[in-house]
Amino acid sequence: MRRRMRGVAVAAIALTSVMTMAACAKDSGGGSNNSNTGSGAACEFATPPTAPATSNTSSAAGDKVDGSALKVGLAYDIGGRGDASFNDSAAAGLDKALTDMGIKKENTRELSAAPNEDEAAKQTRLRQLASEGFNPIIGVGFAYAESMKLVAAEFPNVKFALVDSAVEGATNVTPLLFAEQEGSYLAGVIAAYQSKKCHVGFVGGVEIPLIQKFEAGYFQGAKAAAPKIQIEKKYITPAGDFTGFQDAPKGQEAAKGQIDKGADVIYQAAGASGKGIFSAAKQGGVLAIGVDSDQYNQATVADTKDVIVSSMLKRVDVAVYDYIRAVAKNDLASLPKVFDLKVNGVGYATSGGKIDAKLQGILEGYKAQIIEGKIKVADKP
Amino acid sequence: MITTMEEKPHIPAAPRKRKLPGWAIGVLWMSGAIVLLSVTSYQTGFLQLTSSGTTQTAVRLALPILLAGLGGLWSERAGVVNIGLEGMMVMGTWGAAWAGYHWGPWAALVAAVVFGALGGLLHAIATVSFGVNHIVSGVAINLLGAGLTKYLSTLVFFPVSHNPRQSPPIQPFDTYSAAGFADWLGELEQGQRLIISDVAGILRGLVTGVSPLTMLTILLVPLSYYLLWRTRFGLRLRSVGENPHAADSLGVKVYFHKYVAVIVSGGLAGLGGAALVLNPGQLSYLEGQTGGRGFIGLAAMIFGNWRPGGLLGGAALFGYADGLQLRSGGETVLALVYGVVLLLGVIVVYQLIKRKWFSAAAAIVVAVLLYLLYISLDEIPGEFVSYAPHMVTLAVLAVASQRLRMPAADGLVYRRG
Repeated sequence: MRRRMRGVAVAAIALTSVMTMAACAKDSGGGSNNSNTGSGAACEFATPPTAPATSNTSSAAGDKVDGSALKVGLAYDIGGRGDASFNDSAAAGLDKALTDMGIKKENTRELSAAPNEDEAAKQTRLRQLASEGFNPIIGVGFAYAESMKLVAAEFPNVKFALVDSAVEGATNVTPLLFAEQEGSYLAGVIAAYQSKKCHVGFVGGVEIPLIQKFEAGYFQGAKAAAPKIQIEKKYITPAGDFTGFQDAPKGQEAAKGQIDKGADVIYQAAGASGKGIFSAAKQGGVLAIGVDSDQYNQATVADTKDVIVSSMLKRVDVAVYDYIRAVAKNDLASLPKVFDLKVNGVGYATSGGKIDAKLQGILEGYKAQIIEGKIKVADKP
Repeated sequence: MITTMEEKPHIPAAPRKRKLPGWAIGVLWMSGAIVLLSVTSYQTGFLQLTSSGTTQTAVRLALPILLAGLGGLWSERAGVVNIGLEGMMVMGTWGAAWAGYHWGPWAALVAAVVFGALGGLLHAIATVSFGVNHIVSGVAINLLGAGLTKYLSTLVFFPVSHNPRQSPPIQPFDTYSAAGFADWLGELEQGQRLIISDVAGILRGLVTGVSPLTMLTILLVPLSYYLLWRTRFGLRLRSVGENPHAADSLGVKVYFHKYVAVIVSGGLAGLGGAALVLNPGQLSYLEGQTGGRGFIGLAAMIFGNWRPGGLLGGAALFGYADGLQLRSGGETVLALVYGVVLLLGVIVVYQLIKRKWFSAAAAIVVAVLLYLLYISLDEIPGEFVSYAPHMVTLAVLAVASQRLRMPAADGLVYRRG
């Protein structure tokens, strides 16, 4: 009997402490939740820099280069030619080089990667191209970084290039890097000017340094255009879990969450998950900004193209073309260290007609400032 | 001497009779969870915890997991471990996209079931007729599913979509909402009153934007329960999973029941694939789009103790936790940690009444640790947030694993004697 009494007493004490605990929640959380009711007005914009009178066009000069002696090998990332994105862009660069420099079709070889293949498969692919006499060899995608480090050392006389990554200590590997943050800066400016509630969002695929460059530039650009802007961000998966680049249902939910909080322009850097983000924008009646290629004209997202204001362009084709050209001229030093706004390595698309002349003028102003170095865009958030 | 006389001999407690039927326990769990979430959202101010948007997200994300889990349930109840659910799901995605592109969403469902069932048939032939180890066959089917669909999509989709990894877009289902009812619930939700608004938010999420596939899937849970637990066929099927030799000696056709179970299992997994393809955000086949959901379905089934109701709870938990972190991020998941502290508090009280001192002490320690975590952090780091559902499952499994019971002959190869 006494034991039971004691048990009840202890239980009562515990119950009271639970009750107290229930009253001890943080108060901080509530503020950000009054989503749709909050800011309803458009942004107050900072004074944009004025556009330069003359826009300097691409520096690529017109002199004819003969590349007929070249044997070009391309190792694609997952998807290969026909993925309507990254790899296709590289393929377009190769095709242009073929017609411009007289490279013979039979002197090129394109190989594609399989999903979840191991490191050895990538090495075999590069080794196969190198031992068959292809030179230069271009690895499309940072996935080739490790294997290229090994294979490039085995073939010191072959010229390699690697898109999106650098290989330390390998003199015969040319990194083809892009200033994604600069293009994303302009995407941020576009978002700020298109937003009706001064509230925008960013959805990244996987939280890796490459995608963080997009985030950093976007945030900086949006804040430069409208200092008081509210920005949401979400990565679909953390580093190491690459399903975030091809999970459109999850991309859709992430974007919906941001739209429900009040964001009305969403910038996506999420690969094939981007489809879900466009779909969420369409269902929510808001706008979206695409990435890598001009997604307004991309067949796979054609049903949602009316929400795509613009796309941040990453010209892998320009980089591949310029690299082949530099190899043909035997002048690798002429390649830019980073393909940035200055050399048209990144940019923005105007398809769809949502970017009017006025906004375009503002964008050119920011662009000129970045090219001149007056605005420094950070590549880390 | 006297003291020993006074001590009563230890009598093992008679097995407790269930006072409540299963559905009532389910309802109790549900209402408990809602009250807990409601209190948490009221206390922390994170209304997203019970908003209609979160509920809708949870339903959409839980659907494929639930279907894969149901597939696992059918197969494992007949004693065949089905780790090939992922591969069957992949086959379902291809079938759904192919038929959906040509003949619309209903055809997509049928084709997904057929393609998944073909994968199931293969698994049944390997494991039942030829006695292949269930895990080996399952892994082989996962590889085969990925390889076969890759080949087929290059062959069939590439000429249309110009992309070997993706199908052309397909027609979605129309969605249905209970218009007047949902609006009324919306008003209640806006009112922000404790529990009423939360229940309204959750209900509104459940009755707006419902696709026929969602309704079908929800119906499949009680249907599976009815077929497996309330019919003669189901009793035989389960007896095959518990003790095939005894079942055989009583004249049950062991091979037949195993075949049916594994084929149905494949069909359900294939339907899970269709749920992915027909998701309004996707609406096409995409290589690698299942992203391990077949395995998560298997985990949800184990979480649910090889029973349909528990499996529904497991899938809902995965969908909810994942949806919450996708929609609202780390700070909201942190609020959920606070909810877990409250839950542990309730558990402590229960254990104390039961006078299980050790369990109570353990629960107190965990609760205090979690509370300190909640107080000291502003936001859970993104790396952890993404795996919140997995960790919740781990925690639940750690607590409840002693009470889980799989079918006795699950995973054993049966040879006709």
